Amino acid sequence: MEDLKLKLKQQIIESLNLQGMEPKDIDDNAPLFGEGLGLDSIDSLELMVLLERNYGIKIEDAREGRKVLSSVQSMAEYIQQNKKA
Amino acid sequence: MMNPVFILSACAISPQLSFDVDKFLNPIITTDDGKLFAAEPDYRQFINPVAIRRMSRQLKMGIACGMRALQLADVSMPDSIITGTGLGSMTDMEHFLKDMITLEEEALNPTFFIQSTYNSVNGWLALQTKSTGYNQTYVHRGFSIELSLLDAQMFLNETPTSKIALVGSFDELTNDYFVVKSKCDYWKESVPNSLKLLSYNHTDGTIAGEGAAFFALTNKPKPLSCALLGLKLLNLPSSYDFTQEIQEFLSQHGVDLKDIDVAILGKNGDASFEYLYDPVVAAFDVETNVLAFKHLTGEYPTASGFALWIAVQLRHWNQIPEPLILKSGTRPKRNILVINHYILHTASLMLLHQQ
Repeated sequence: MEDLKLKLKQQIIESLNLQGMEPKDIDDNAPLFGEGLGLDSIDSLELMVLLERNYGIKIEDAREGRKVLSSVQSMAEYIQQNKKA
Repeated sequence: MMNPVFILSACAISPQLSFDVDKFLNPIITTDDGKLFAAEPDYRQFINPVAIRRMSRQLKMGIACGMRALQLADVSMPDSIITGTGLGSMTDMEHFLKDMITLEEEALNPTFFIQSTYNSVNGWLALQTKSTGYNQTYVHRGFSIELSLLDAQMFLNETPTSKIALVGSFDELTNDYFVVKSKCDYWKESVPNSLKLLSYNHTDGTIAGEGAAFFALTNKPKPLSCALLGLKLLNLPSSYDFTQEIQEFLSQHGVDLKDIDVAILGKNGDASFEYLYDPVVAAFDVETNVLAFKHLTGEYPTASGFALWIAVQLRHWNQIPEPLILKSGTRPKRNILVINHYILHTASLMLLHQQ
């Protein structure tokens, strides 16, 4: 799980071009949107693409997506439960 | 005929250090590989730091240039934003198209798609300035900035009340674009020093460039503003007497070729187009200052925006930078004519008068 979270943080930084950030700067449980990382709606689409491209996970339900993308912890848990590739 | 409009400020991001208002094309940047990429400023003071990480170079150039032009004119919210781009956002479009192929149209990044649209720069400028007025982007290759200026002139002529139009252009160069256009013989095989481009005018082709240029325009004359008296678009200029067309355009504004103090030419070193400029230059007064600029910017569809930027700068600086001068003259710098020809057989004329 810890390895997955580290990898996920690296992928988030790269995918969203979070310049100057390192995985250690992202708290596992900090909210990704609004406060915390301050991501926006376009970022949420990018994170959906990240999950689909790297883990074969497609989130169709927007409400579920909001829950999954709330933090690195929730994303990692969802990946572990649903990973296809 | 429309009334003139007045340029309150000008800003350019180009391969030269043109963003810096303390200098006028000094020092000069050159290249030896036929590609002149823009010298980019620090964008952070002009663009929302959260959004900047997603932006392509062109988007950053356009937004920063537009915001700077407004800042120089002391305008916080323009009444309209009108821009032109010949190519649009090449980097984002290339990313998106490559992803479509490699990922077989699955899981495509939305950012490249969203920001590759031509009006992204205008959208961001409107968001940042909270301008809800007329907002338009022209995408007409070599006529793009000219159509923006024409539209701005119409917009500003529509009303007797004082209005501000932010007008600009932006085009970016990518390595893929360079390769593709090499196959269309756009570029010279070898130009060891871009500064000497115009001396290679015995061979076809030119060098590639990019840049953004923005202007704050108004319909009310202001002290020390530069008046855009008129502009004209000419399609297929080789099919008629180009010099005669210029003469007619000038006479509509009560000016003769002999009255031009400074001519800024879009000569790009391509042997195929030299014949257009030579008779015009011969018709000027012997003391007319004749300038050229594409050896400093490279060729791109909206390069005439840089020529317009030079015209505005002439008001602020006593000396014309040496690298611009094709022929030096003693005339004052009041009547300025920009003559630009773009590769795809389009030409434009802009007549300006320093107040």
